[in-house]
Amino acid sequence: MTELAFWVIAIVLVSSALAVVLLRNVFRAALLLIVCFFGVAALYITLNADFLAAAQVLIYAGAIGILLLFAIMLTRDLHSGNPFHRLHLPALVLSLLLLATIIGVVIGTDWTTISEVPQVVEMPLDEPTTSYIAIALFDQDNGFVLPFEIASVLLLAALIGAVVLVRREGKD
Amino acid sequence: MSVWEYIVDLFVNVRTDWIEWLQGFNLASSLIILLDSLIGIILMLIFVFPIVIIFIWLERRFIAWMQLRPGPNRCGPFGLLQPIADAIKTLIKELIMPAKGDKLVHWLAPVVLFFSGLMLFAVIPIGKGHLGALADLNIGILYIVAIGSLSVTAIFMAGWSSNNKYALLGAMRAVAQLVSYEVPMVLSIVGVVLIVGSLQMSEIVGQQSYPFILVQPLGCFIYFIGAMAELNRSPMDQIEAESELTTGYFTEYSGMKFATFFLGEYISTLAIATIVTTLFLGGWKGPFLPVWFWFVFKVFAVFLVILWMRATLIRVRIDQIMAFSWKFLLPMALINIFITAAEVLIWDKWMSGWESFPWPFIFVNWAIAVVLILLWSKIFFKLGGGRVEVGEVRPGYSQGYGADLQAPVS
Amino acid sequence: MNFWLLSPELSLCGIALAVVLLDLVIEQKKVLAVISVFGLIIPIAFTIALWGEQQASFSGMLVVDNFSLFFKFLILGISALVIISSVDYVKKFARFQGEYYALILFSTGGLMLMCSTGELISIYIALELASISLYALVSFLKDPKSSEAGLKYMILGAISSAVLLLGMAFVFGITGSTHLDQIADKVSTLVSGGQLWDSPALLFGIVLMVAGFGFKIASVPFQMWVPDVYEGAPTPITAFLSVASKAAGFAVILRVFYTAFGIEAISADWGMIFAVLGAISMTLGNVVAIAQTNIKRMLGYSSIAHAGYIMVGLAAISTLGKSGVLFFLAGYALANLGAFIAIIAISNKTGSDEISDYSGMSRRSPVISFILAFCLISLIGIPPTVGFMAKFYIFNAAIQQDLLWLVIIAVLNSTISAYYYLRVVKVIYIGEPLSDEPIPSSIPMRVSLAITSIGVLVLGIYPWIVLRLAETAVVTFP
Repeated sequence: MTELAFWVIAIVLVSSALAVVLLRNVFRAALLLIVCFFGVAALYITLNADFLAAAQVLIYAGAIGILLLFAIMLTRDLHSGNPFHRLHLPALVLSLLLLATIIGVVIGTDWTTISEVPQVVEMPLDEPTTSYIAIALFDQDNGFVLPFEIASVLLLAALIGAVVLVRREGKD
Repeated sequence: MSVWEYIVDLFVNVRTDWIEWLQGFNLASSLIILLDSLIGIILMLIFVFPIVIIFIWLERRFIAWMQLRPGPNRCGPFGLLQPIADAIKTLIKELIMPAKGDKLVHWLAPVVLFFSGLMLFAVIPIGKGHLGALADLNIGILYIVAIGSLSVTAIFMAGWSSNNKYALLGAMRAVAQLVSYEVPMVLSIVGVVLIVGSLQMSEIVGQQSYPFILVQPLGCFIYFIGAMAELNRSPMDQIEAESELTTGYFTEYSGMKFATFFLGEYISTLAIATIVTTLFLGGWKGPFLPVWFWFVFKVFAVFLVILWMRATLIRVRIDQIMAFSWKFLLPMALINIFITAAEVLIWDKWMSGWESFPWPFIFVNWAIAVVLILLWSKIFFKLGGGRVEVGEVRPGYSQGYGADLQAPVS
Repeated sequence: MNFWLLSPELSLCGIALAVVLLDLVIEQKKVLAVISVFGLIIPIAFTIALWGEQQASFSGMLVVDNFSLFFKFLILGISALVIISSVDYVKKFARFQGEYYALILFSTGGLMLMCSTGELISIYIALELASISLYALVSFLKDPKSSEAGLKYMILGAISSAVLLLGMAFVFGITGSTHLDQIADKVSTLVSGGQLWDSPALLFGIVLMVAGFGFKIASVPFQMWVPDVYEGAPTPITAFLSVASKAAGFAVILRVFYTAFGIEAISADWGMIFAVLGAISMTLGNVVAIAQTNIKRMLGYSSIAHAGYIMVGLAAISTLGKSGVLFFLAGYALANLGAFIAIIAISNKTGSDEISDYSGMSRRSPVISFILAFCLISLIGIPPTVGFMAKFYIFNAAIQQDLLWLVIIAVLNSTISAYYYLRVVKVIYIGEPLSDEPIPSSIPMRVSLAITSIGVLVLGIYPWIVLRLAETAVVTFP
């Protein structure tokens, strides 16, 4: 069952990801990117990562996808699509080289499996993950409290920066 | 089990019997899950569609009653058959497709909206226990938030694919408004989640020995207003304002596609009403009468409040809507989270026996809510009440809307 | 969780928030600069009070040792000088002066955290905190050039972040941890064969991380953003970018590479990566700088070249090399800040950054011109300035590690760099003045100019003041 689901999701995921890159119609590409995000969420579900799946849909499909569509709507000359330019071929060669390198690295490495690594939280399979994620994040002894707090400062700085850049000059 | 006991929790009992009957056949467990979902979906549709049809009728009659006019009263008794007549009329109308529009996306948009609305019902409990909801997910409320954000995509697809400037403007407003209101809406839910300590919907209802509106008045208020904006309902229906945008993103929709859109909107409305019921009004809980009755009763009560607002309040300007979200609802939602978190800590430490009815918190929270709303609205209006500030017109530029986009007038 | 160890960053965030909030009520925006500068004394005091501490907190994510405290002190000092020298400059902005100071403080906080985290995710998020504040600051002027600079910086910065994250993901994938010390344990078993090639994923991760951090320190081939961003950004921010951001970048590189990948079997390998990158960086930076006519662009290329010099210290894997990097960064910060503050003072009056407009500046403002010339001489590396001592020290370290070829390239490059720095000095002293108007300088300007120029001179004569600190700081690493 899970294997079948994986292959269906994988095919949808890869084909929509390819379509995002290859389609000339930018709007449809963005919509397919949202489909792609959903595919990733579905993959998470097959891995029993329910919280992660919902967060994926909420953040990527819900927020980032919409932001992308919004940016597209504010773009001029959209109907000309993604224009050709002379760096197309070098870019293709470079990305293929990078792909080959990554594939080579992934195949050539003797990967560490999860059982060999100390876990932050010991968690049984087939159980809801929300509370375990919370423990892994906020545990006093080996949680990720510091980066979490830095992230909140980061968001504040980003908000202030965005307000500064977007607002018009002149008096209030 | 007496007949009455069977009826009290009708949905759950039907489903339990069905599963038991299935188990008698020695089927594979995955097949049982599949067939169980099937009956669940059918029960859900039986629940959803009649109510939606009644909603459509009720909206017209109720508003007519409030506006001192008869409303539709020709089809059947009290015009009860009017929605069916409407449906037949729209279904046989011509499907118009804008010549330069994106045909595929134009078709998909209403479907996406329709199903994103329907998907919300999967986690809503209309009966006791885990079988009360079609799928009592562990991350229930998060699922609702995640799926709820999908309707924006649908609206956007509709606006874009119509190749019509009014449709696009409507979609643009929609995205700006929905994205803005999603933030306070989600934050207002956090208060409830903090009290319950779980995201599961059955757990949220199970812990409400008293409706959570009593301890979360501010959260309920913010969620309700946010939901009105998410539904594009008056007074927040700037997105589809007839008078200025010729109904916004579905300007170019007709016939079956329009009907799907229309139905999708009512399904979303029903979904929001059920969510408000579940989160803040105690869900299916209630004395004496069957649980499904209490649930439907509360849903209708919420819907009538929505209608009441539509009939009473006038449409707000788009900049006022945006400012209201960012300058009014968002800070209040944050304050609400802070207060609730503090209270949960106090609760855990000193008040372990108060779960059944914590009246000091109820009193304090209502006082805080009233004072905050009054104070903040004063500040809100003092700071311009959501007027968009228009920058100084630079010398050499023409005045008027979008002046800064034009080239200098030399 | 030991909040005492986090006190510099916490107090800094408090000041930044106070500036944002007070901005709402204070009409006289100069007060905000005063609050920011005097507020910075609090984190500086905490940093000094923590000196000598050797602890980790927040489950090993916050590492407080002399090394991180050295950099915190350096970055806080740079931030204070940048804010002092911005007081006159911010009159260019019609509004948002409070946000300007607050963003500088937030960015400072990010850079400080970068220097003192022992965990990859914290490093990444701290780096983003610093960068995102800087993206906004770079485009603060909102004219076409500044906006272009901000956009370029942001897009390239985002790509470099992605590369860095991919590298971290590979390292995490192969070692199963994001904590640097745990990574080190795992790495030593992974490369037990003594070859980095044994584990391609580790090698690939290291290369990607070098690329990601290389963007931060502006080394070739990740330097494309430097000239445009330096030219377009508000000049105080250019100064901040060129010294604080670079210092934090090197701090992270030192910490990550010496803690996580510090075992001898592989340190020679990444040392060679840095040696080659350093040689290319300084050559390209110096050669292209010759052709520049805009002084900010010129200093941009000079900063690429200096990244190359500092990488010589990274390539020499020894205590001398590490402390040399720290000392070089401190000296470079002083000299470069001095030069930039002088440029700010001059451009506040003339409104131009073209070198030709500096003609005869010595007659219009002898003191500022002298300090500018003095700082440029320090950037060449001529005694009695700190630049000479720093280069001497770092090249010495490289020679001891048999990197003679690299030192020869570096010395040749210093000779090339003399050409374009001295050209500016020549224009200032020999050219005909374009007008007779003197260049005014306010008290904050004079203070910051005095601090930097005296620092350049004193450290050039008594380098031991800072070298001792640098040597105690790098004891952290094996």
